[in-house]
Amino acid sequence: MLHSQLPWFIGGPILGLCVVAMRWLMNERLGVMGAWSDVVHTVAARRLSFGPFGWMLFGLIAGAAAFALVAGGPDFHGYGWLTDTFTGPNGTLIIVAILLASGVLIGLGTKIAGGCTSGNGLSGNAMASPASLVATMTFFVTGIAVTLITEALI
Amino acid sequence: MAGTRVAGLVIGIVFGVVLSWSGMTSPNVIREGLLFQSSYLFLFFGGAVTTAFVGLWLLRRRAPRALLTGEPVQWETIKPERRHIAGSLIFGIGWGVSGACPGPIATQLGQGIAWGIPTTVGLVLGIVLFDRLQARAQAAPKRAPAASVIPSPVAADASA
Repeated sequence: MLHSQLPWFIGGPILGLCVVAMRWLMNERLGVMGAWSDVVHTVAARRLSFGPFGWMLFGLIAGAAAFALVAGGPDFHGYGWLTDTFTGPNGTLIIVAILLASGVLIGLGTKIAGGCTSGNGLSGNAMASPASLVATMTFFVTGIAVTLITEALI
Repeated sequence: MAGTRVAGLVIGIVFGVVLSWSGMTSPNVIREGLLFQSSYLFLFFGGAVTTAFVGLWLLRRRAPRALLTGEPVQWETIKPERRHIAGSLIFGIGWGVSGACPGPIATQLGQGIAWGIPTTVGLVLGIVLFDRLQARAQAAPKRAPAASVIPSPVAADASA
């Protein structure tokens, strides 16, 4: 962390208000996976007419870029436990393979579940959706279990 | 409609700054949370859900029309299905290993973190793979019983 971390009781509620804004302005469920899908599907159709979700993804990227500019660099260096564990000449290759595979699981899994940490976890639970509650419990328990397992193995 | 696109962009910028400033972009912060070494992840997530829950509850009670599109502000929820568990299991594995989910993957790219590139490529491949599975399940529903966790396009739209 190269800067003072935004207190959770400020950052959390601002994200919550983003969900409310999306609903109040255009009656949509805020979800970052929906944003990725919009961009992928629009580009795959050889068009550039992105919808509000596609523009939200560009905003996410732009907001993070602006933050890095103001903070004087990215938020972290290396890549956590992966760069700590896999060192040497083959290390980078192994990490790239692991992150690529993780990305596939994240993309496929969230599409099947109809939402990610924001779509199901944040928005869906705020909508009091039973499906989102089950999805959230599932990915939190799985994420915790997988993290504990990798921590035990390294 | 241009207004909704501008609104999407602005909401994305706010979201991106918060995901960066809070440290959610960093796999270290996510991992410390999932290992229960730090309470920040859970407090942050809880604060976000609570605020959104109260905000949406107030919004639903007032039942206004959406400010930009004019449509009634309303939504429906669905009961849990197998796909919500199966999909979140698959997602949870990727999340636990990489310490990243779709929002932070975007903010890693924005911050210029090169490790975000392979994760992004994988994410896009995952979407493409899902589209293929969905198309196949649609084309031959009776021959693909194993793909029954793949939601139909209609169900995927109303997935909350």
